[in-house]
Amino acid sequence: MENLLEFKNVKYFYQTKENEINALDGINFSIKEKDFSSIVGPSGCGKTTILSLTAGLLSPSEGEIVLDGKPIQKNDGRIGYMFQRDHLFEWRTIWQNIILGLEIQKKNKDPQKLALAEDLLKKYDLYNFKNKKPRQLSGGMRQRVALIRTLVLEPALLLLDEPFSALDFQTRLTVCDDVYEIIKSEQKTALLVTHDISEALSMSDKIIILSKRPAVVKKCVDISFSGTIPLSKREDKEFGKYFEMIWRELI
Amino acid sequence: MKNKKGHPKINYSKARKAYLRKLKKDKLLVLFCQIALFLLFLGLWQLLADFGVIDPFFFSSPSRIVSTIIDLGKGGNLWIHIWTSLYETIIGFLIATILGVLIAILLWWSEKLRRIMEPYLIILNSLPKIALGPMIIFWVGSGTGATIVMCVLICIVITTISMLNAFISCDNDKILLMKSMHASKLQILFKLILPNALGDFVSVLKINVGMSWVGTIMGEYLSSKAGLGYLINYGSQILKLDIVMASITLLCILAAGMYFLVSPLEKRFKK
Ligand SMILES: Nc1ncnc2c1ncn2[C@@H]1O[C@H](COP(=O)(O)OP(=O)(O)OP(=O)(O)O)[C@@H](O)[C@H]1O
Ligand SMILES: [Mg+2]
Repeated sequence: MENLLEFKNVKYFYQTKENEINALDGINFSIKEKDFSSIVGPSGCGKTTILSLTAGLLSPSEGEIVLDGKPIQKNDGRIGYMFQRDHLFEWRTIWQNIILGLEIQKKNKDPQKLALAEDLLKKYDLYNFKNKKPRQLSGGMRQRVALIRTLVLEPALLLLDEPFSALDFQTRLTVCDDVYEIIKSEQKTALLVTHDISEALSMSDKIIILSKRPAVVKKCVDISFSGTIPLSKREDKEFGKYFEMIWRELI
Repeated sequence: MKNKKGHPKINYSKARKAYLRKLKKDKLLVLFCQIALFLLFLGLWQLLADFGVIDPFFFSSPSRIVSTIIDLGKGGNLWIHIWTSLYETIIGFLIATILGVLIAILLWWSEKLRRIMEPYLIILNSLPKIALGPMIIFWVGSGTGATIVMCVLICIVITTISMLNAFISCDNDKILLMKSMHASKLQILFKLILPNALGDFVSVLKINVGMSWVGTIMGEYLSSKAGLGYLINYGSQILKLDIVMASITLLCILAAGMYFLVSPLEKRFKK
């Protein structure tokens, strides 16, 4: 399989009044199509910065980011971004939330896109809530709506920035399963940021370990388990070994 | 089975029924006390005036207020006064609200402009607008125009500041979300910033109802030939305090009426 995303010696400096913050210090990694990759690293090391750069919300101070053969542009639009909180718009119904991106890109008249939105809602048990307001849904359901909102745009790459960290542990495990299943069955490429090693292990084909700020890639680990569902992977014998190895890298 | 509102009828538990009954009873009790207090106040006022404990010349009385209103009504001028004040208030309210929101949008749009204007907004906000009264009369002449200008001045600064704060306080991640979907600034404004600030907008409307009446009465005190503020001024100058009290009563009714027109919006738009 081909590389979908490639970071080539990417540096990033934040400019503030007081000083210059060197967030990324020459990041190199690549992500294959349809792979699920995770980024782990100490807090404040620059994980969110990597996602912002990938989405074109920031542009690199140095180096190059290539998506599907073409460099990332400002507010690229080829990318689906999921944040820590679902950020559903409370004044919109679930359906209106889901077609937000289509509206923005003026594709909300496209019958094919609308059919896709309907399909996704049906497939992931949200169709009955179509006309409800977000506040009537549970945290897990809201997160699924947020995912579908990005999926209807058919992004080349999904970015997930600690999308489960606002959920309680129980919900977190099931939502984690749900999201993983959706992403795999829609055959999407995904890049997840998390500070939870088990979460990264149970979902990913590849884990990118970052150093402290200024961040460089310390190690890339390819993961393979016999199980397929995140929850079952947690029971695998290898899980503990991987966990320990990554844990060691992080301290 | 469905009840009036079209919700399916639910069989409530005993405890739930008792709770709902108590809720209803409490609500009625509060309403009853409110009305009782009002009647008690009027009755006491009337009695004290009738028995000469307070001097009705200075304190008026409910019956004198009612008869004064009827007398003024017969004279035909009362309607002109009411209409003038109402007109000035509504026009002032509308201009201030619309212009204030537009300025706030402009300041949200351009951060540079916002930074340039910040000290001026602070100064304008802390300036007691009534101090500009004499200047306004020189600029636009006395009468309805001056009153409307006063009204607008009093409401517009606070409208601008409140709405600007509402716009700026929008969650930055929501903006990033829109940007990641390739939204233009105009789309961010219309699909996110404005709807997100609707709740604050309703609060501003409610404040402006009160403030615009302040503006109108101030304006009419300064210089006017008609209006409830004029009537209050006139009444006090010819020492007919009944006229003053009657005007204040009418003012209360009008301001409350306008408030109750605006407040149902709150339920719809407040999160
Ligand atoms: N807008 C900004 N201006 C200045 N410095 C910033 C800005 N955003 C982030 N930083 C700094 O850059 C560094 C990397 O930030 P980033 O948010 O990418 O880290 P992170 O790994 O996502 O952290 P966390 O684990 O807390 O989510 C941090 O030290 C942070 O203080
Ligand atoms: Mg982060």
